[in-house]
Amino acid sequence: MGAPSAIEVRGVRKRFRIYHQRNQTLKQTLVNRGRGSYEEFWAVRDVSCTIPPGSTLGIIGANGSGKSTLLKCIAGILVPDAGSVKVRGRLAALLEIGSGFHPEYSGRENIYLNGALLGLPRRYIQSVFAEIVAFSELERFIDNPVKTYSSGQYMRLGFSVAVHLDPDVLLIDEVLAVGDQAFQRRCLDRIDQLKAQGRTIVFVSHGLGAVRDLCDTALWMDHGVARALGPTERVVGEYIAKVNQMEAARLEQEMTSHPILPGGRAGVGITEISYVGRDGPTALFETGDPFELRIAYTAPVPLEGARFYVSFVREDGVVALTVPTDDRLLHDKVLPAQGMARLVIPRLPLLEGLFRVTVGIAEIATGEWYTLLDRIYPFRVNTTDRAERGVALLGQSWSLPPPLRRRLSA
Amino acid sequence: MATKEFLAVPSVGGPARVPPSGALARNRELLTELVRRDVKARYRGSALGVLWSLLNPLLFMAVYTVVFSVLLAAVYPGGVPAAAYILTGLLVWNFFSQAVSFATSSVLSNSGLVRKVAFPWVLLTVSSVTAALVNYVISLVLLIPIYIIFHLPVGLPMLLLPVLVVIPYVLALGVGLLLAAGNVFFRDLEHLVQVGLLVWLYLTPIVYPPNLVAQHDHGLGGHVFSLFFKFNPMTWVIGAMENVVTRGLWPIHWHGLVYAAFVAAVLLALGIVVFQRARRRFAEEV
Repeated sequence: MGAPSAIEVRGVRKRFRIYHQRNQTLKQTLVNRGRGSYEEFWAVRDVSCTIPPGSTLGIIGANGSGKSTLLKCIAGILVPDAGSVKVRGRLAALLEIGSGFHPEYSGRENIYLNGALLGLPRRYIQSVFAEIVAFSELERFIDNPVKTYSSGQYMRLGFSVAVHLDPDVLLIDEVLAVGDQAFQRRCLDRIDQLKAQGRTIVFVSHGLGAVRDLCDTALWMDHGVARALGPTERVVGEYIAKVNQMEAARLEQEMTSHPILPGGRAGVGITEISYVGRDGPTALFETGDPFELRIAYTAPVPLEGARFYVSFVREDGVVALTVPTDDRLLHDKVLPAQGMARLVIPRLPLLEGLFRVTVGIAEIATGEWYTLLDRIYPFRVNTTDRAERGVALLGQSWSLPPPLRRRLSA
Repeated sequence: MATKEFLAVPSVGGPARVPPSGALARNRELLTELVRRDVKARYRGSALGVLWSLLNPLLFMAVYTVVFSVLLAAVYPGGVPAAAYILTGLLVWNFFSQAVSFATSSVLSNSGLVRKVAFPWVLLTVSSVTAALVNYVISLVLLIPIYIIFHLPVGLPMLLLPVLVVIPYVLALGVGLLLAAGNVFFRDLEHLVQVGLLVWLYLTPIVYPPNLVAQHDHGLGGHVFSLFFKFNPMTWVIGAMENVVTRGLWPIHWHGLVYAAFVAAVLLALGIVVFQRARRRFAEEV
């Protein structure tokens, strides 16, 4: 590998002062004799990484792990207290959409100003101006002051200028997390183009999906330290494993700390709910795992003509499945006053996400609920080593024409 | 590798490459944009716009002329009409004091940019001083009617005007850089600067003739004042400007002008050093 690296970060440390009392004026400083008392906080401690030209690095990690601080050090906005940062080529940093906008200015004027701030010559902006405006879909508003823009319009204009940047090194902080779906897609497309042209991109994000899609290398920051650096799949995998481990501990706690108080209409109630996997009760499943939902119920007298009801709701509100028991089978049956209903899924088809269940028991004759527990107990589904995305597997398979031959490996 | 959900669309072409340009050229482009922004921002706020920026020195000229020439019967060097002398000095001073006061708040008032965008922040200060320069050059048109009304001499010494514009520009930039950096850490500096500039105005022979100081060069107060007067680089800048503009002479006190240029250069160097040191912590402090 003879090519020089695009970004070289060596032993970077950055410390912040957290002021208890901050004297920001001469008067206060003189009266209180000093700039105020503060504690030191190391936001980044000894991080090193080398990014070859043309690669895309994703920085992941929890809030406050030092991701953005590191990015600002690379951008040159913050100066590290120790270590060095070297960037080869023209750098553009995009730390906040529209941060260079002047509210009194028209969209047109702001495109020029923002472009200049990001290092683009006026002549270049002139040549891509029409493209920027078209990309933002703001043709009709381009001569209005941006203070009259809606937040969506404001964002679109910022994005458009940003994705028409033409730097050798592009730093992006979380900005793709906003904007509507269609627009976000176009931005990602654009970034993909830049990538294809061999630009170096550093991308800070909470969205692991975006990091997986865009980045070939990932850096996992944890409390200011680089926990892992390497191929995206491996690093993201390690990160997810850690997050899951922590979440499992949290879910487990939630599981035991929420006993259900039986009690509903006519004394019919649910006493316990549990998820059972391959190795017993758990709240963590892998797509394709055996899954069982157990509902323990109680009633003062044997249950006549009752309907059980379960609904799986993903965290974003998507209902993956609603499944009641069959009224035709149960309307004339009498069930014991205490018992357990089980919903069995031999191979869980749900794809990655956090799900909750809504569980209820209703009277078939009147349709009225005895009891209904809305979106209780979360469980997590992970999808590893699978290419499918979405809510659930559909039992799908591909059929392709028979291959002519095997490709000669390069 | 994970499959791409929706990125599989084949991309047609790509953004055109930006023609390569040096850091200097890019900074010049950016400075132009920033100056454009600063100049526009100044005029956009008020209804009268440019008109007001021309009216303001005329009003003050009228007031000072009445006070000093009519009421106090001051006589200006070379028998120059008070209005011409005062307006010339006021235009230079307005430029200088505007440049310094805008420069002082230049970094802090752009905190959004400093926190989020990486570019040479020193350009914020340079641009606010340059925007004041643009205003100044526009305001110089006021001298045209003064030349016509008072039949002021026009001559070769006017070739020196660019130098007489550059010296206060450099001086304001030097002082401005120091204050801009200081204002990030001490936010009341802005207000102190306003008071300081007002005091400085009266320590400079702008509204009164310089010989007034020589006449009152006795007693402790007089001595201190005349000392300030001599070490004040603006004394010599204004003096030379008056010589050139109102009397058509080459500057009488060359040594004073050279001294002012020297002070300006030293302050600029100091300003750059201090600003560049302080800027390491701007993003955390603003």
